[in-house]
Amino acid sequence: MSARDRILSRIRKAEAPAAEHLAAPVPGIASLEGAARIERFCAQVEAASATLSRLDSFEALPAALADELRQRNLPAAIRMGADPDFAHLDFGGLQVSHGPGRIEEPATLSRATFGMAETGSLVLLSGPDNPVTLTFLGETHFAVLQESDVKAGFEDVFAGLRAAGHDPRTVNFVTGPSRSADIGQTLQLGAHGPVALHVFLVAGGVE
Amino acid sequence: MSLDNPTTPQFKANARQALANENLQSALRGARNGFVNGRAAARAKLGPDEFDALRDAGRDLKNHVLANLGDYLEAYEAKVTASGGHVHWAETAEDARAIVLDICEQAGAKTVNKGKTMISEECGINDHLAAHGIKPVETDLGEYIIQLRGEHPSHIIAPAVHVTVPEVRDAFMEAHPHLDAERDLSGLDTLLAEARGELRAKYFEAEVGITGANMLIAETGQSIIVTNEGNGDLSQSLPKVHIVMASIEKIVPTMEDAGTVLRILARSATGQDMSVYTTLSAGPRRAEDPDGPEEYHVVLLDNGRSNMLGTEFQDMLRCIRCGACINHCPVYQTVGGHAYGWVYPGPMGSVLTPSLIGVEEGGQLPNASTFCGRCEDVCPMRIPLPKMMRHWREREFEKKLTPGATRWGLGVWAWFARRPALYRLGTRMGMAALRVMGRGRGKLASVPLAGGWTGSRDMPAPQGDTFMAQYKRAQR
Ligand code: SF4
Repeated sequence: MSARDRILSRIRKAEAPAAEHLAAPVPGIASLEGAARIERFCAQVEAASATLSRLDSFEALPAALADELRQRNLPAAIRMGADPDFAHLDFGGLQVSHGPGRIEEPATLSRATFGMAETGSLVLLSGPDNPVTLTFLGETHFAVLQESDVKAGFEDVFAGLRAAGHDPRTVNFVTGPSRSADIGQTLQLGAHGPVALHVFLVAGGVE
Repeated sequence: MSLDNPTTPQFKANARQALANENLQSALRGARNGFVNGRAAARAKLGPDEFDALRDAGRDLKNHVLANLGDYLEAYEAKVTASGGHVHWAETAEDARAIVLDICEQAGAKTVNKGKTMISEECGINDHLAAHGIKPVETDLGEYIIQLRGEHPSHIIAPAVHVTVPEVRDAFMEAHPHLDAERDLSGLDTLLAEARGELRAKYFEAEVGITGANMLIAETGQSIIVTNEGNGDLSQSLPKVHIVMASIEKIVPTMEDAGTVLRILARSATGQDMSVYTTLSAGPRRAEDPDGPEEYHVVLLDNGRSNMLGTEFQDMLRCIRCGACINHCPVYQTVGGHAYGWVYPGPMGSVLTPSLIGVEEGGQLPNASTFCGRCEDVCPMRIPLPKMMRHWREREFEKKLTPGATRWGLGVWAWFARRPALYRLGTRMGMAALRVMGRGRGKLASVPLAGGWTGSRDMPAPQGDTFMAQYKRAQR
C-alpha cells in the first residue's frame, strides 16, 4: 500500500461525526450596492494605507500616471504587461517597458480584474497581460480598476471569476502595500513587496 | 531546542529561565497589547454578532470537512493533477523531508527560498536540506532574523516576537559583513531596508521556493497563502519550482468556504480586516505566462493527524493557525514560545504537541495552563482547548506518566504563587480552573489544585477580579 492509500484508509476508518455543508452568513459589509459599495471600497483602500485617485476614462491614465510619478519623485518610467486596456494608450514622454518584474522596478502598473469593497482589496490575475511579479517587485505599484468591476465581497468576486472562466496560475488579493511588524513589533510599510500602492479607479460601466 | 529533541518535558525549567530573561520579558511586554487590542477592535468593527456568527460558520465548515476528509482530499488531488501539478503524500515528517529533498535535488537546487511554513518547521526541512548541501533561506522577515540567530520560531505568526531591536541589529551586523561596518542601523527603517535589500537579491538566486498553505481548495485545486510582506509570493513566483507544504486538514470545499475562513483569520490574528496578500495558486505557470514556476508540487502531510479523527482531539484539526489563543494566553505572555519546547506554543501547542509527538514527550504541556478559558473565548474556530487539555491530563494520568496525580497541579500552582507579579493572575486562573474541574468527570474532578490551595494559607488573599473584568471589557 502506498502512503496515499494508508493515509486515506486511516481517514476513512476513523469515525468523524457526520456534519453538513452549510451556507455561511455573508456580513453586511460584503453586501453593499451602488454608491455605498464604491464608497466603502475607496475608504477601505485608504484604511489599508494605499492611495486612490479617480479617473473619468482610461484615456486619462497616462497623464495621471505621469503626474503621480512626478509627485513621488520617481523616474518617468513604468513597467507593465500586455493588457489590452493599456495597449492603445499614448503614454507620451513616459518610458514604457513590457514584461515580468526585474530585480529593481521603481514603478509597475497592473490592471486589476476586480475590486472588493468588503476589504478594499484588488483582485489581480497572473498571465501575460499582468505578470504576477509586477505586483510584488514594484517599489511603487500602480493598479487600474474600473468602477463596474468593484464587487461587494468574496461571494461576488468568486462568482465573477467562475463566470468569466478565468483559470490563471494565481489569483492575487492585494490589500494595501506590503508591511511587517517583525522588527520591534512596530508596523513598517515596504517589507519585501511594494512600499506604496496607488489605485486609479476609472469611472463608468456601472448600470 | 532542536526539533528531534523537544525540550517539552522540561517545560517548568524552560519557563523559569524565560522569566529570568530580561530581554525576552521586554520583547514579550512589547507584543502583548498589540495583538489583544487589535483583535478586539477588528471584532467590534465588523460587529461582534456577525463576527461570532462567522466563527460558528467556521466551526461547522471544518466539522463538515473532517467528516468527509478522504473525499475532499481525493477531489483536491484530482484538480491539482489536472492543472499540471503534483501531489505527494507524506505519512511522517521523515517522509516529507525525503520528498522535499528529492524535488530539490531533481531541480539541481543550491538555494531554496522559504516562505513562512510551520509544517516545514514541524518536519525539520531546513536542517535536512542543509545536511545535503542545499542552503535554505528564510524570507519572512521574522523567520530571517531567527534563522540568522540559529533559533526556531517562538510564535506561529510572529516568529521573532521574542527578539529585541538591539538583538536584530547585532544579528544583521554579523550576518552582513560585506556591508560597511560603520553604517547607520539606528532606525527601525534602516534595519528593514537592509533586510529588504539582502533578500531581494536572494529571491532571484533560488532554484526552488517552498511555501506553506493556509488552505487548500478542493473545488479548484488551489493552495492559499496569506502574508503581509509579499515574501511568500516572491518565493513562489521567481524560482522554477514551487513546493507547497500543507497538512491534510487544510482542505476547504469551495472558494466561498475559503472566504468564510479568511473573514475570521486576519481579524483573529493581527486585527486586520484582511492581510495584505492573499494568493490562490493552481499548478505551474501557464504556457503563455512570462513568470511563475515551471513546476508545482504539493506535499500533503499527515504526521499523526489522521489518528486524531474520530477521537476527543478531532476538534483541534479545525485550527487555522491564527495565533489568537497564543496571544491571549497568560502563560504564553509570561514565558514566551520557546519554553514550550517544540514547534507549536501556547494553548494550541499544548493540545497539538502531545497529539503529534506523543504524550510521553508532550504530555507536560497540557498542564502548563491555568484553565482560564481565554483561548477558547477567542478561538475563531471555537476549539474547546481547555477541554482537550483536560483530556490529555487524563491520558497522561492513565499512562501513569505523572508520579502522583496531583504533582503537576501543585507544581503549576506553586510556580505561579511564588511570583508576586503573577500571583493575583494565577489565583484568579486557579479559581477558574477549580470551577471548571468541579464540573469535570471521573478522577479529574478531584485532581489538581485543591490540595495546594488549601494547604497554603500563608499566601496573601487574592484581590478582586480586576484582571478578568478588564479582560472581559476589552473583549466585548
Ligand atoms: S486553536 Fe483557535 S485560536 Fe488557536 S491558533 Fe488555532 S484557530 Fe487560532
